[in-house]
Amino acid sequence: MSEQGQLYTIEGVAAALIMLLTAYMVVGATSMYTPGDAHISDMQLEVLGSDALVMMDTPANSSVRESPLRQMIENESYGGGQFRNMFMNYTNVSGYGPKHDIQFSANYTYQAGGTIMSARINSTRNLTGGEHAVRVTKWVIVNKKLPPDTGVLDNRAVLVEVLLWRD
Amino acid sequence: MARLNDDAQWIILMGFLVSFGLFFLALIINQSVVVGQSTPEGVIEFPKNDIRDISHVIKEHAEHNGGTDDQVYQDITNISIHRKGAIVNYTIEQLAAHNHSLIHYNNGVTIYNENWTSK
Repeated sequence: MSEQGQLYTIEGVAAALIMLLTAYMVVGATSMYTPGDAHISDMQLEVLGSDALVMMDTPANSSVRESPLRQMIENESYGGGQFRNMFMNYTNVSGYGPKHDIQFSANYTYQAGGTIMSARINSTRNLTGGEHAVRVTKWVIVNKKLPPDTGVLDNRAVLVEVLLWRD
Repeated sequence: MARLNDDAQWIILMGFLVSFGLFFLALIINQSVVVGQSTPEGVIEFPKNDIRDISHVIKEHAEHNGGTDDQVYQDITNISIHRKGAIVNYTIEQLAAHNHSLIHYNNGVTIYNENWTSK
């Protein structure tokens, strides 16, 4: 067996390793943004929003029967920024720690005499149509006159709908 | 007659190995595009939160002596169709020791049925 060219062989191995390393780094440095990847951020936003709504629909402790979300809708006390403050705290837009840059627009939907009506809760910004928003919803049972003021006081199910987008 | 030069065959062989390696790497990257598209789509289309939410609200209603002949039932079934595009139907049986409920959910892609008995 010829033992010529061993140095060349070592050089070849070294060259191959360098080429592999280069290719690996180049491939690792460029990430392809496929159309499907857009769903990943949507998914995260949806999870964040629905978790925040679930937290808002949980009573603070066992002696309080009604959740904050239910109280807000029953008393229509969301106008003064109560919904906004709570929601923004839970989605880490305000408060302590790292911040998100999320905007929202919240409504609740109810039924009155067979027609579906919607009432505005609160929003951080008006929708212009250019937003890439996701929708999260939460069912809440309230004891309320619906439509407000003119209906009969009864237990009703309303659907809280929040549009969320990053700005 | 010149002798066949067989120096540096190892270098050529290594070249082949590297090129095959790169080829397989490219194949894997190619596949990752498909995975990146279909997985989040599948997750986002599955109405996990909707199902949990509807199941939760119906159980809450049942525990407060709700039935299927009241306003809450009308609200849930009608608003589900109009705002969520989902057919929701349920029964509530108030028995002496516990509540029993059959919950049905269908949004055209996912069908969910639950047979629930409270303690």
